[in-house]
Amino acid sequence: MTELDHSSAEDPALVRAAQSGEMAAFEELVARHRDKIYARAYSMMRNEEQALDLSQEAWVKGWQRLAQFQGESSFGTWMTRIVINLCLDQLRKHKRQRTESIEEMSEESGGVERQMPVVTPNPTAGLERGELRQRIDRALGQLSHEHRTVLVLHEFEELEYKEIAKVMGCSIGTVMSRLFYARRKMAGLLSDLKKENWK
Amino acid sequence: MTEYQNQLKLQSHLDGELSEAEASEVVSLLARDPEAVALLAELRQTSEALVGFEDGIRLPESRDFFWSKIQREIEGQHSPAPERTSPVPWSARLRRLLMPATGFAVVALLALVVTRETGSGPAQSSVETSLADSGALVYHDFSARATFVWLAYPADDEFSEEDEGAGFE
Repeated sequence: MTELDHSSAEDPALVRAAQSGEMAAFEELVARHRDKIYARAYSMMRNEEQALDLSQEAWVKGWQRLAQFQGESSFGTWMTRIVINLCLDQLRKHKRQRTESIEEMSEESGGVERQMPVVTPNPTAGLERGELRQRIDRALGQLSHEHRTVLVLHEFEELEYKEIAKVMGCSIGTVMSRLFYARRKMAGLLSDLKKENWK
Repeated sequence: MTEYQNQLKLQSHLDGELSEAEASEVVSLLARDPEAVALLAELRQTSEALVGFEDGIRLPESRDFFWSKIQREIEGQHSPAPERTSPVPWSARLRRLLMPATGFAVVALLALVVTRETGSGPAQSSVETSLADSGALVYHDFSARATFVWLAYPADDEFSEEDEGAGFE
């Protein structure tokens, strides 16, 4: 049997090799997907140290559960789901420890997002990619965990409402209102950041 | 301002989450309500602005260093691990200490009550500890032909990890 060339092998071949205990194959998989897994953890946690710890933990769990991976989704998607679960667990622990924020209370009690004026023109139009990324990064950091998580799961993970509801353990209605709030808040924040830049 | 249910419908329309009938309702709303058109445009712009955002995020550690931490963790778990890796909470430790004492107290009380009620001597009942299992106490009431066994240790799953809650299965 010929030895597998890790750098040129496709993911499924690396997964099979790793499943048979070849750690070098798993190392190659980590190298290929580490940025994506870290990025997802960072999007959800907004903290570099936590994102590093959680992405590392996800890889260890990935190795431990490798036998369960049957290839129904891509390996990258499978790993992303593991890191999302870890982030959700971490966020739930945080939530139990902190008191309800004013932002959450305002959402529950009527929703300022319903009355917010529509942002026109597009505040991100004509921006360079790097500048847009910076603004989005700052705006995401100002959302609550719940709103950011729904946004991340919908926009980045491309999950449907019902899937998000299942993952987050809430109703579809809650997903819809959180997503609406998150998007409207983001639009407002991106517009404010644009005005700040003009000053 | 467009009413809230319609605002949510506009969003669902954008996300492709509406049935055909609901989608045509939204199309008629858009035809008569310029605010709805503006709101839909705003929602779409925000969604589009987020495309590719994560592509710019890079792990702030070198490949070798990051892998070395993962490898160390994986290899550490291959070595013989202690039976319980998760720390036992203090309340569970206290309960573990108190359970045998409570067991002794309950059995002694039972023995006292039975002895008083029957007015008979020790031949009517007895309390034993099992040599095979030091965590078990056995109380025999010969007159009532009853045997009580008190297990002082916790069930196997008492210290299982906390539920992970919802998430991907």
